[in-house]
Amino acid sequence: MATQTASSRKSLLLLISQHPELGVIASFSIIALAFLVISPDKFPTSSTLYSILTLAGELGVTSIGVAFLMITGEFNLSVGSVYALVPMFVVLMVDAGMDMLLASVIMLSVAFGIGVLTGYITVRTGIPSFITSLGMMMFLRGILLAITGGFPVRLEGSHWLTDVLNGAVGVEGLRTSAAWLLALTLIFLIILDYTPYGNWTYAVGASPATARELGVKVWRVKLVNFGISSLLAGLAGLMALSRFKIVDPTLGQGLELEAITSAVLGGCLLTGGYGSIFGTFLGALLVALTRVGLVLAGAPAYWYSAFIGVILIIATIINTYVVRKFVTSG
Amino acid sequence: MSQQQKSKGTALAVYIIIGIIIGAVLGYAVASMTMVPYSKYAALETELEQYKAGAGKPGAPEYTFYYVSHGGPADPWWAPVIKGSQLAGQMLNVKVVYSGPEKFSIQALVDLLNSAIAAKPQGIILTITDYKALDEPARRAISQGIPIIAVNVPDPRPANQRIPYLSYVGQNEYDAGYYLAKYLIDKGYKPKRVVIGIHEVGHVGLETRAKGITDAITQAYPGTPVEKLDITSDPTKAAEAFKNYLTKYPDTDVIFTLGPLGAHPALQVLKEKNLVGKVHLLTVDIDDVILKAIENGELEAAVSQQPFAQGFLPVVFMYLYVKYGIIPPAHVPTGPTVIDKTKLDTVRKQIATTGGA
Repeated sequence: MATQTASSRKSLLLLISQHPELGVIASFSIIALAFLVISPDKFPTSSTLYSILTLAGELGVTSIGVAFLMITGEFNLSVGSVYALVPMFVVLMVDAGMDMLLASVIMLSVAFGIGVLTGYITVRTGIPSFITSLGMMMFLRGILLAITGGFPVRLEGSHWLTDVLNGAVGVEGLRTSAAWLLALTLIFLIILDYTPYGNWTYAVGASPATARELGVKVWRVKLVNFGISSLLAGLAGLMALSRFKIVDPTLGQGLELEAITSAVLGGCLLTGGYGSIFGTFLGALLVALTRVGLVLAGAPAYWYSAFIGVILIIATIINTYVVRKFVTSG
Repeated sequence: MSQQQKSKGTALAVYIIIGIIIGAVLGYAVASMTMVPYSKYAALETELEQYKAGAGKPGAPEYTFYYVSHGGPADPWWAPVIKGSQLAGQMLNVKVVYSGPEKFSIQALVDLLNSAIAAKPQGIILTITDYKALDEPARRAISQGIPIIAVNVPDPRPANQRIPYLSYVGQNEYDAGYYLAKYLIDKGYKPKRVVIGIHEVGHVGLETRAKGITDAITQAYPGTPVEKLDITSDPTKAAEAFKNYLTKYPDTDVIFTLGPLGAHPALQVLKEKNLVGKVHLLTVDIDDVILKAIENGELEAAVSQQPFAQGFLPVVFMYLYVKYGIIPPAHVPTGPTVIDKTKLDTVRKQIATTGGA
């Protein structure tokens, strides 16, 4: 009897340690329940759900890349600038007569290249990626401002690609950005947890030296994951462009921190080697849920930031506790 | 061995990418040196060029003025201000140095003001974005004999307490909100519920505009709910915030926004939810998206503060003061001017010639 409880307890611990997203599931449920109680008539509706998914769309797609890189043990603060850079240049290219699809493919490749470059500088020099990507963030934002002179650029005409990236589905407020978010979550979840590449990513994040001894090409994994984070940010930027057809040079300022917030809420450790794509997805949903819920609850809107700050700290405490208790002690 | 070769291949690819990016940057740098800045506004450019080439103009500028503002190059609203200040400088043969932080930051503004004072110019033109933070450096400048003209945001304190600047050139933010809301009321419309989307919470100017709107409506119709909504400067968040507010309060029939960053997503929401004509949208500040929306009847009215004048006039007043001792009037208003369908043509002229309204 005693051994049975011990073993079932052990399997519970195993479950917790293998699922970093449990913390965020708990906080997500509690907060959703709270909003449900506060506004029972407005909250549980399809339009609210669609609004949350729409809000989480661009943020979530960016966060997946950021989380993937955080699990590799690195940061990319330049995602907010890439988020604006890619759509900005796509608009400039389309205005110059290029097809939007071609322009998008080119700019997404450039975004990947920017990520790889940031990674290369980081790995080559040994400077923390916090600094290199911070520099890249400022550099790219400066280019944006210099080129536009501070003016927004507008996408003239329409293109089928905008409907694919972020078109309206029905009249209730559902958009294709939600489908992109779900699909990318699934893809990266599979890559991270069910492919050798995912294993390498965990290994590089947990201990680069050990990973190298085991034959993992640490360099390459890091560079590719830097590229992915930048690529996904660019894609998210294109999604924002597709809806509003306008890019302000300030677009995406602060997005990098929100993406890190989502990833950390979702159970990613700042030190790398541990985290979850599904958790990050829920983290982005939680951020969106809080924003929507507070408006629907009729709360003074200025409280949002304070609220999300408290949630972030509590969720991180839970995650750190879980990790210290169940992961590092074996 | 082969692994080494492979990583050499990776390194080569990376070098190529670095090369492309450096090349692009250098290319842009060369292009920007040979290109005339602000090339969007051809008429103004030629005018400036003429002054630059100016027959018989003396070479060295007579005075140097610093234009220190919270509006950085990121905010398109400030582009005509910068141009206005530069054109006045060219015309009067004065060097006008414009400096503003890239992102809204009071600390950065104070730092810029301190650098301006250190440069010992003949005059400083300053936005009093935060009178507490700017009080000490501004008074120090004045005590050193550098006159100050306030623009865009005044010191809100009574005359005997405020920073002793020569004059304030600009619209009163409170009036901008007040007269915009009054426009709606004067048309005979009685709002049921009003929401004000604020895209930079804590910005004194925006909060004051919102207060002007609130006062105008509650004075005319006491008891009408008027609420502020934090929409952030991100379009997706702004759009969804408006949507959720409309879900929460379906009786909302008037939306005010305090700048293009709020007006663009609000327009999008009205279109997506088929609320054009049912919900009245009014905004402060103007750009071509907003003008187009006024023309199409999607947006009721916008208030313009004629930013070019806020760049041009203070330089002229500073020049008159420094050169001839002419004391400017205490307040030179540049607005608010409410733009609706009837005034579109005049505003278009202003935009075509100055780049903003």
